[in-house]
Amino acid sequence: MTAIQTWLQVVLTFLKLSLFSIGGGNTLLQAYHHEAVETFGWLTNRQFSDLYGLAEAAPGPSSMFAGLLGLGAGWKHGPVWALITGYSAEIAILLPSTVVMLIASVYWNRWRDSPWRIAFERGLGPVTLGILFSVSVTILKTANHSLVAYALSFMVCFFALKTKISPLVFIAICGLAGVLGFVR
Amino acid sequence: MTQVAFSAFGGGMSLWSHRIIVERRQWMTSESFVTGLTVARLFPGPNQINMSVYIGSIFQGLPGSLAAVAGIILFPFTLLMLLGLAYFQVSAIAEVNRLLAGLAAAAAGMALSMGFKILDVYRTDYLALAIAVIVFVCLQGFRFPLIPVVLVAGSLAMSLYWPRGQRR
Repeated sequence: MTAIQTWLQVVLTFLKLSLFSIGGGNTLLQAYHHEAVETFGWLTNRQFSDLYGLAEAAPGPSSMFAGLLGLGAGWKHGPVWALITGYSAEIAILLPSTVVMLIASVYWNRWRDSPWRIAFERGLGPVTLGILFSVSVTILKTANHSLVAYALSFMVCFFALKTKISPLVFIAICGLAGVLGFVR
Repeated sequence: MTQVAFSAFGGGMSLWSHRIIVERRQWMTSESFVTGLTVARLFPGPNQINMSVYIGSIFQGLPGSLAAVAGIILFPFTLLMLLGLAYFQVSAIAEVNRLLAGLAAAAAGMALSMGFKILDVYRTDYLALAIAVIVFVCLQGFRFPLIPVVLVAGSLAMSLYWPRGQRR
């Protein structure tokens, strides 16, 4: 497969998924895994979960994972193509949703009494909830390869819900546990 | 915007942007900011990016939005691309792999906590819970692809929640 073909595959995939990233960015993780690992084989399972950890730990909006997947897909054609494919992937995932959001920013208040707006506001939440749980299961299975890793994940989840500890603390502790070799 | 992006290690972004945009710079009212957050959350796309589109469009329309999105994502994204390149160069180093395994476990835990946070909102809404369970089973149990599931379940949920008879 040539570099251009890979690039096209990446861009089309993310353009297609963009408008389905409802409720934030995480809802697409399962679809990303399906496309990047299972369908196209851009990355191995291990690489996918490594890059996910990297994207979550890095500063900035948590929606930049698409770019990393693009980078990974382009890597086999060298670092320059990896960067081109990475930036293109991020533009592709953001473009359609940004256009829709622009239109919504302008019209939202004018639609105040429209039943479409009311039904949309109420109906989308439960769908997002279902997707988020499904995505969590997928990412738990992808990221964790041992009981210790699962235990760490569940502890992070518990403390994230019950306390106000900063996510940075979880990232630091789990990163350290990883380096020390507790997480396999 | 760049200032907000770099302060946004792992979430808490909306709090920071409120502080800078509404309180310090007084670019918009708090009310208009909150409307923006709601719309940003409802529409497809990452919340923070959508919020930038909204804030940018309030002042300058299309160019404002594009500038805001570029501002919030360009530096962090470039940093991430460099980290990604480094990963593919050095992933043979055992420590790096172990570090990333730890980070991934933390990230998975945080993803799970998001689900529970939203679950709390719908605790007493059985219709919403039923829709969520059906969506979960379709995606995780039957492994249906996301796009048809969102299209079908989304329209179904919208028709179930269609406002009837009540005047606002």
